[in-house]
Amino acid sequence: MGVKRVLIVDDSRVSRLMTRSIVAKLLPDAEVFEAADGAEGIAAAAERPCDFMLIDVNMPGMDGFECSGILRRAHPGAVISLLTANIQETTQQKAEALGVGFIAKPVKEEKLAGFFGLEVAPQ
Amino acid sequence: MILDAFQRDAVTEVLNIAIGHAASALNEMVEDEVGLSVPFIDFMAREQAVARLQQDSGPGTLAIAVKQQFEGPFGGDALLIFPEHKSLDLVRSIMGEHVPLQSLTELEQEALMEVGNVLLNASLGSMANQLGSRIETSLPVYLRGDGSAILETGADALNRDDVVMFLHVDFELKRRDIHGYVAFVMDVDSANSFRDLVDASVARALATIH
Repeated sequence: MGVKRVLIVDDSRVSRLMTRSIVAKLLPDAEVFEAADGAEGIAAAAERPCDFMLIDVNMPGMDGFECSGILRRAHPGAVISLLTANIQETTQQKAEALGVGFIAKPVKEEKLAGFFGLEVAPQ
Repeated sequence: MILDAFQRDAVTEVLNIAIGHAASALNEMVEDEVGLSVPFIDFMAREQAVARLQQDSGPGTLAIAVKQQFEGPFGGDALLIFPEHKSLDLVRSIMGEHVPLQSLTELEQEALMEVGNVLLNASLGSMANQLGSRIETSLPVYLRGDGSAILETGADALNRDDVVMFLHVDFELKRRDIHGYVAFVMDVDSANSFRDLVDASVARALATIH
């Protein structure tokens, strides 16, 4: 597996930090990019196409649904998932309709391992 | 608006399940057992709700709150509240393995907002799922002060005599001795809609049994 690129789009710096910390543990060689809102995320992905994208939903400006839809169309080969505290069934249905995954916060190693297609040893 | 005994029981159960989701999320974050109280549900003037928050925080104690407004078939304010002197402990227990100790203080406010975001959305999302509705939430706001400073922000300050439905559950992180609580405040119109949705949800559940 070559060097993977991971994009984290989340307005919370803390959430980005925690997600990055887990990504670094699971994919130590990955290049990780962060964006604080949807527009920034779309621009970052256009500049450096990423293999994996994690998108928060509730953000100022463009929400995660719109952002994910744009990223899905622009990067059909990427693995994309919402990473959100919004656990409503309607949110999960929207994710499915957009062709992206759904991961409920809080972010945990085992959840991201599944997203990256890795197996983690039981704790 | 009055809840009969059966409705009060049904609302309590919806709240129990909703807070259970928040407790599960908190448990994942801190890897500590989360104790929960029996939900408190009452109708009171907004001013009394402020007094109740002050009483729960402890006289003269400053509290930290993360507040999110929610809107949908019912709406109001959702609050995560805990004593200020415990806030850094809470942040440390959640972020300790992810960031160096010296960065924790700098990140404290943002970390608490993210904790509030996760816990309040877990509760509200569960309520929406149970009631077959969709709720939109605002971005979290960080507040510090007494009950008045926390509850009476913005337009709320103008409506001290309005009756509100006050839903309140205490939580406790057992190993770390951190106590806090989650509260939801709804005006009467929202509370009526909430009660009607709970009634409909109970009726659906009973229909599947009979």
